[in-house]
Amino acid sequence: MTMSSTLNIQNLTVSLRSGLPLLGQVNLTLEPGEVRALVGESGAGKSMIGKAVLGTLPPAARVSGGQIFLRGQALDRLNAAQRRHCVAQSAALIPQDPLTALNPVRRIAPQITDPLTRIHGWSTERAQARALDLLERVEIRDPARVMRSYPHELSGGMRQRILIAAAFAPSPPLIVADEPTTALDVTVQKQILKLIRELQKEVGTAVLFVTHDMGVVAKISQKVSVLFQGRVMEDATTEAIFTNPTHPYTRALIAATPSYADPSRSFSPVPAELIAQMKSEIAKEEVW
Amino acid sequence: MAVPLTCPQTDPAPALFSVRGLRLSFPDSAHKPLFAPAPRIEVLKGLDLDLPKGQITGIVGESGSGKSTLGRVLVRLMRPDAGQVLLNGQDISTLNEAALRPLRRNLQMIFQDPMSSLNPRHKVWRIVAAPLARYECGSAPQIGLAERRDQALRALERVGLDPGFGERYPHELSGGQRQRVGIARAIALEPEFILADEIVSGLDVSSQAQVLSLLKSLAQEMNLTIAFISHDLSVIRHLCDNVIVLNRGEILENGSVEQVFSAPQSDITRLLLDAIPLPELDDKWFD
Ligand SMILES: Nc1ncnc2c1ncn2[C@@H]1O[C@H](COP(=O)(O)OP(=O)(O)OP(=O)(O)O)[C@@H](O)[C@H]1O
Ligand SMILES: Nc1ncnc2c1ncn2[C@@H]1O[C@H](COP(=O)(O)OP(=O)(O)OP(=O)(O)O)[C@@H](O)[C@H]1O
Ligand SMILES: [Mg+2]
Ligand SMILES: [Mg+2]
Repeated sequence: MTMSSTLNIQNLTVSLRSGLPLLGQVNLTLEPGEVRALVGESGAGKSMIGKAVLGTLPPAARVSGGQIFLRGQALDRLNAAQRRHCVAQSAALIPQDPLTALNPVRRIAPQITDPLTRIHGWSTERAQARALDLLERVEIRDPARVMRSYPHELSGGMRQRILIAAAFAPSPPLIVADEPTTALDVTVQKQILKLIRELQKEVGTAVLFVTHDMGVVAKISQKVSVLFQGRVMEDATTEAIFTNPTHPYTRALIAATPSYADPSRSFSPVPAELIAQMKSEIAKEEVW
Repeated sequence: MAVPLTCPQTDPAPALFSVRGLRLSFPDSAHKPLFAPAPRIEVLKGLDLDLPKGQITGIVGESGSGKSTLGRVLVRLMRPDAGQVLLNGQDISTLNEAALRPLRRNLQMIFQDPMSSLNPRHKVWRIVAAPLARYECGSAPQIGLAERRDQALRALERVGLDPGFGERYPHELSGGQRQRVGIARAIALEPEFILADEIVSGLDVSSQAQVLSLLKSLAQEMNLTIAFISHDLSVIRHLCDNVIVLNRGEILENGSVEQVFSAPQSDITRLLLDAIPLPELDDKWFD
């Protein structure tokens, strides 16, 4: 670990109160300006990693082992209030469920600008200008109208872009992006990925990018963690993942990606035998 | 010079839905003057389209182009300003709720946003079984709770969730698992039509492959008609028979998937195709 890592997760274990582990011995690092993709099937624990970092684990789950360092600060050494402050200052979330994340009875504008004025101490004018600027950069066509709209008056993709703009507005050192482009058409998606790259360069934002789209992984990330049942199966550079994946599960995930370019290629779920084999290996470890 | 057709003309599949001259607008609350009604924004600007029976029709187009609004009109969650929506020849665009009731079990939908459509206080199997109870009370024989539970568990199994998931609550599921519960609930009723609005975009590739082959086989086995709204053109190309491209409330293209994808007529379709990130390394992709 270097002191300068934006995020450093060591041997993180998250368990349900019943003792059932959701994450087991997860290790990963994220350097400033780096995008790390978290991939793996539904239920693998991708969102759970983000929640552990942000301190938003569901009540049924708790961190039962390991450590998280956010910009060098060990989060478990802080009390709850300090921790909330530290996380609010350094990290922002683009949530997986964009349609329920916005407050339905408030207009859009304050939902973006409130955190800027309250947490980051900006003036109202500066916050407003920043919000408009970012709405434009996420390709919202009529930002002034959208600022005054209520969430139900906007399409799914528009709401998702508002959450993206809100997360980027304070230029935080870390963004946890939980499937941030699932509701977007590909042209807007490309624009968003471009924006992430710009912010990466401009302010050194690091992004933990949860996605199931191996095409997006190939274009945006530099590192990849492949998860299965809460374990990291493979941690490698994006280049290595696509040129020389070492774990059979990684190869299976790439093979399961439908390809527009090659419609004749059938794509298939990850083989059941491979899943069974990986499960039995994990079960063996858990006997300890 | 006319080229003679070499292949025999086959009858096109009859349409489950025929939509003619469909218009819809919303009040624009952001620009409402203080003492006058809000101006209206036109969202669907006179659409004509058919959804052939037993086929899957993809609906694509940029964010805000009106895809979800069109879908909501088809299942009559919204009433259009003008135009006809013929379902098996019957215009449903102006029917009131009582007249719609018997049609509703046939028109199922699965939405983009699984969490807000699942009752958080009910176990998963109850959520999937709920519509079975509500609809079986007409002429069809009543079925008991135990049987409904079995049917619900079977529907869950079809979407790749083992029976243990039936005992969980929605908040105990991952995003992809919740989405599959929504699909299970819609197919449990074996309807004639399913509107699927961005249902696989939140799924990992492996569950996506499962759900897509499931939809495909359901469409064939049950002669199910599906309107499949998605921004994922790779998925559309693999799954759908036809595709409609919407742009700002108008139809840009409408044809078989092969036609539209191999020879796109409009720049917007071409732009969409070019922006697809393929799963391979490419330094120049952003340029
Ligand atoms: N509140 C909860 N109580 C119990 N189990 C939970 C809870 N929330 C999530 N889980 C379980 O934890 C595991 C990891 O969930 P997580 O949301 O991290 O998955 P994910 O990898 O993000 O999947 P997806 O791609 O579907 O979003 C899943 O098996 C899920 O069922
Ligand atoms: N209840 C409403 N009141 C006012 N405007 C609305 C309402 N619902 C939708 N709109 C507007 O109608 C347009 C079309 O919305 P719709 O949800 O149909 O888009 P979409 O094509 O499904 O987009 P996406 O891909 O982002 O989901 C948008 O400009 C949206 O702001
Ligand atoms: Mg998740
Ligand atoms: Mg929509």
